[in-house]
Amino acid sequence: MTSLLEIRNLSFAYDGSTSLVFDQLDLTVQEGDYILVKGPSGSGKSTLLRLICRLNQPQGGSILFQGNNITTIPPAKLRSAVSYVAQIPQMIDASVEENLLLPFTFAINQAKTRPGTDELRELLRKYYLADVSPSQSAMKLSIGQKQRLAIMRALLQNPLLLLLDEPTSALDQDSAAMVFSIMESLNTEHGKTLITVTHIDYKPVTVSPITYNLAHRSLHMLP
Amino acid sequence: MSAIINISTGQLLLALVFILIAQISSFIYHLGLNRDITVGTIRTFAQLFLMGYVLTYILKTSNPFLVLSVFMVMVVSAMFIIKGRVKEKQIPYIIPTFLTMLVSYLATALFVSGLVVGITPWWEPRYFIPAGGMVIGNSMSALAISLERLFRDMRQQKELVEMKLCLGADYREASIDIFRNAVSAGMIPSINAMMGVGLVFIPGMMSGQILAGTDPLIAIRYQIVVMLMLVGSTAVSSVVVMLFVRRRCFGSGEEVLMSPR
Repeated sequence: MTSLLEIRNLSFAYDGSTSLVFDQLDLTVQEGDYILVKGPSGSGKSTLLRLICRLNQPQGGSILFQGNNITTIPPAKLRSAVSYVAQIPQMIDASVEENLLLPFTFAINQAKTRPGTDELRELLRKYYLADVSPSQSAMKLSIGQKQRLAIMRALLQNPLLLLLDEPTSALDQDSAAMVFSIMESLNTEHGKTLITVTHIDYKPVTVSPITYNLAHRSLHMLP
Repeated sequence: MSAIINISTGQLLLALVFILIAQISSFIYHLGLNRDITVGTIRTFAQLFLMGYVLTYILKTSNPFLVLSVFMVMVVSAMFIIKGRVKEKQIPYIIPTFLTMLVSYLATALFVSGLVVGITPWWEPRYFIPAGGMVIGNSMSALAISLERLFRDMRQQKELVEMKLCLGADYREASIDIFRNAVSAGMIPSINAMMGVGLVFIPGMMSGQILAGTDPLIAIRYQIVVMLMLVGSTAVSSVVVMLFVRRRCFGSGEEVLMSPR
């Protein structure tokens, strides 16, 4: 069976630097996996996710998505199937609804079913955002609310793989707990494949994750 | 119309009285501008006399290659001025900008001298060189503004552009607002000039023609052609350069190549 994602012998160095961030890094992800990547700040956790969705280019090795090298997949098509949510959530200066429907304004997603306002309200409730109205400005939300909205928006285009970059780093404990609960239900209830990078000590409650430690330029599976 | 009155050397030197006033003002109020005023005055005399002699020679020529060479020198000089103003080290923008300038300015100057004014031959230096000079000078400033805006916004809004890319946007969709703002920032001065012309200011070319004894009703026709030509050439060159350079801000995976300063 073809893996959803396969990383082989990946090497990466930042522009103008000779020291490698990754050297001969391997990773295999199957559909439905819940992957946690831990590691100290500066170990390259975010970079790993950015390489998977081609926001950075590796120096060597290969990344296969559903058996195809990602360099052969048109970038927009790849990124609508492999959705990356950045550490600091970004919103356009518009309403919550316009932000949520932003993916559907792009050509690649136009054939997908866009949710109606009632459906969005229901989704907002599920994401602990019941007090947020679709018509209010997204810029005025707290960072925790923006983070949940960003995950919800990424999910609306129905990606096969969700990449979450330190999704709780800027959040208080309560908001972080909400985000973790959302992440776990995405996997348990909706069968979504997730790769989450985090430097905090998070132990999932309802799922059994495959946990890796990113150190010495490579991934090491933790028991 | 009376014949053009020549300005003798003595009369020309008499105009230096204006410089004397500026120098005295700077001296009394310690403006620290005396040296700059002196250098500026010398450069004005030297550069314009040199240009006068070169133009006297060029205008008499019947060699189209010489006229095109002068045009080429003007475009290359404009490119160097843009390079001096746009401090961008990461994105290679010089070659696409230069080629677009060369092609679009040449096309505009040809269209105006060959079709609108209808001069034969099309390269007649009396028309072709000033038309080219105006197009190049005007669009050069527009391009510098547009390029500066494009690079600044791409850097400042990198996270926002990446967010759109991650939601399935291609590089054009992800940067459409930045592209639009960059092109319009360059075009606004030419459009504003169309609003104010004849009311707020009399353009240099028209003033020159009137001073040289041309009927103002003929001078305005030339000026209208020039204003329209400047807006058109600015639009074409800004759009084409921004299209090429914006693509260069993204890599082969449509990832943003610019790193924060």
